[in-house]
Amino acid sequence: MKFLPYLLKHLRRNWFRTTLTVLAMALCIFLFCTLQTVLAEINGLLEGTSARRLVTRHAVSLVFNLPLSYGARIQSVPGVQRVAGVSWFGGSLPAKKEETKADQDSSTTDFSNFFPNLAVEPEPFFAMYPEYVLPPGQYQEFMGELRGAIIGRKLADRFGWKVGDTFYLESFIPPYRKADGPFEFIVKGIFDTDPARYPGTDTNLMVFNYKYLYEATGQRLGMGTFYAEIADPDKAGEVSRAIDALFENSDAQTRTETEKAFAASFVAMAGNLTLLLNGIGLAVTFTILLVVANTMSIAVRERRKEIAVLKTLGFTSKLVMGLVVAESVLIGVLGGALGIAASQGLMWLLTHTPGIQDALAGLGLSSLTLRPLVAALGFANAVFLGFAAGFLPALNAYRARITDMLRTV
Amino acid sequence: MAMVDVRNVTKVYRRDVEELVVLNGLSLQVEEGDYAALMGPSGSGKSTLLNLIAGIDKPTSGDVVVAGTNVAQLGETELAAFRSHNVGFIFQFYNLIPVLNATENVELPLLLTHLSKAERRERALTALKVVGLADRASHYPRQLSGGQEQRVAIARAIVTDPKVLVADEPTGDLDAKSATEILDLMGSLNRDFKKTIVMVTHDPRAAERAKTQHHLEKGVLRD
Repeated sequence: MKFLPYLLKHLRRNWFRTTLTVLAMALCIFLFCTLQTVLAEINGLLEGTSARRLVTRHAVSLVFNLPLSYGARIQSVPGVQRVAGVSWFGGSLPAKKEETKADQDSSTTDFSNFFPNLAVEPEPFFAMYPEYVLPPGQYQEFMGELRGAIIGRKLADRFGWKVGDTFYLESFIPPYRKADGPFEFIVKGIFDTDPARYPGTDTNLMVFNYKYLYEATGQRLGMGTFYAEIADPDKAGEVSRAIDALFENSDAQTRTETEKAFAASFVAMAGNLTLLLNGIGLAVTFTILLVVANTMSIAVRERRKEIAVLKTLGFTSKLVMGLVVAESVLIGVLGGALGIAASQGLMWLLTHTPGIQDALAGLGLSSLTLRPLVAALGFANAVFLGFAAGFLPALNAYRARITDMLRTV
Repeated sequence: MAMVDVRNVTKVYRRDVEELVVLNGLSLQVEEGDYAALMGPSGSGKSTLLNLIAGIDKPTSGDVVVAGTNVAQLGETELAAFRSHNVGFIFQFYNLIPVLNATENVELPLLLTHLSKAERRERALTALKVVGLADRASHYPRQLSGGQEQRVAIARAIVTDPKVLVADEPTGDLDAKSATEILDLMGSLNRDFKKTIVMVTHDPRAAERAKTQHHLEKGVLRD
């Protein structure tokens, strides 16, 4: 610690260069933390899935619905405990939720208020989703009202909805639209979850009775997906194959996979996001390593005489090497702290800026926040970069002979 | 017993296949409390000899015994410890650390001791007082004249109370007035504080201040 003031004075010697180097390091750690947070959030979405749930969809594309009769046939497959039809409604709020039904038409749909909403077969769906915890009586209220909707806590907080409130949604999927305007929903329940027991469960979600959708659209719809709860997660592959075999020779062949694989396939639609983000992070990190190493090399070269003086005064080569490395690590620490703070600041800004906040919520990233583990990794990365960047110049300082350095002009 | 005992020392520098003999079987004794001046033309080996005595270089052969320690036989870490305890080095160009003020520069060698911050500061200020710069304690090197910088450098050299002071042309970069002040100060350190001083100089006036003078030529002593 007694050398710290000495190190700080050296860093202040060329404050402009030090500032730029610290900013470069900060940028690196900022990108690292931000990209890793996005990845962690996406992975968090996958965490909210269960190995006991399989998802069956049309083999060609999610765009095509499956016949409703498939539900009963999936239920007959050995190992399947229950089946729930789930259709992605794709509804958005009209521009002003307080407008009356008569005032609204599809042209005023506000996609910035988008949030996930599903038409489900309620009984089996809630039975296979113990993550969604409803207060007593609300489920019965929901089942007694066809227009009833159950919403998650985050969604309720976001729009200020409470039980009994009415809102309107209109789907962007043509078969799910009504000629007489948007669907009317009444909030009948607000579910919470236990984050310790069910990490990754998103409460930015709304579900309603599939029957409402089916009847309002002329009873011609199929089902987007069937969720099957199985008894033994270890047999997920076997059961999936058995389900798909059932429909192998039908017009609508199926593709069954675990809920996690199903969720992951959405992420994969954006390409190999993990590889892309990690690649960007690695490239930036390597570049900053070169920048800081170059800075430290220049700093050591400029101070060859001073290093010789230190050695003459009795500083050992190891101590001199340690001082150079410590100086570089200090740059890493400063840059790391700044980068982490900037990343946290960005997260706060994104999640508190109207419009962006809603767009993120629509993607299931409403709780975008810098996780302690990511921050710790970012900081460790900064310290490592500082160490690695300073090591070679420090080694040169270690090896240099006093008499040679004193001759340097 | 001599404070500095250089015995049959040879120093050879190798550059590719070429060998340059800088010191050739040189022997020299400097007694405790002596003030010795090493003189000679450029390339005669006087600075090399000074470096060997200070323990910042090692001889190719022979022994360099300073304050009872054979410097030639010490390893890198032991040499560093030897320098911090026994030798105070005064450079021609002062070599102060520009980002540190006078007190901090003087305090630098004390960072290697177990002294507390307050003790270090007190000793540094005492050393600055000895060289007459107590009022410039918080000044940075750029705020000092050449003579003042050299006095700070001398304070840094004496702050650990070393047995030997080695000075490599300490007045070589100074005007006549400042040079006289520095020579007066060094004379005082020898006379009043009983410091053994070995000084390399080209300046006959500086050499006259020393108690003994030694002339080198082509790596050997001429007197």
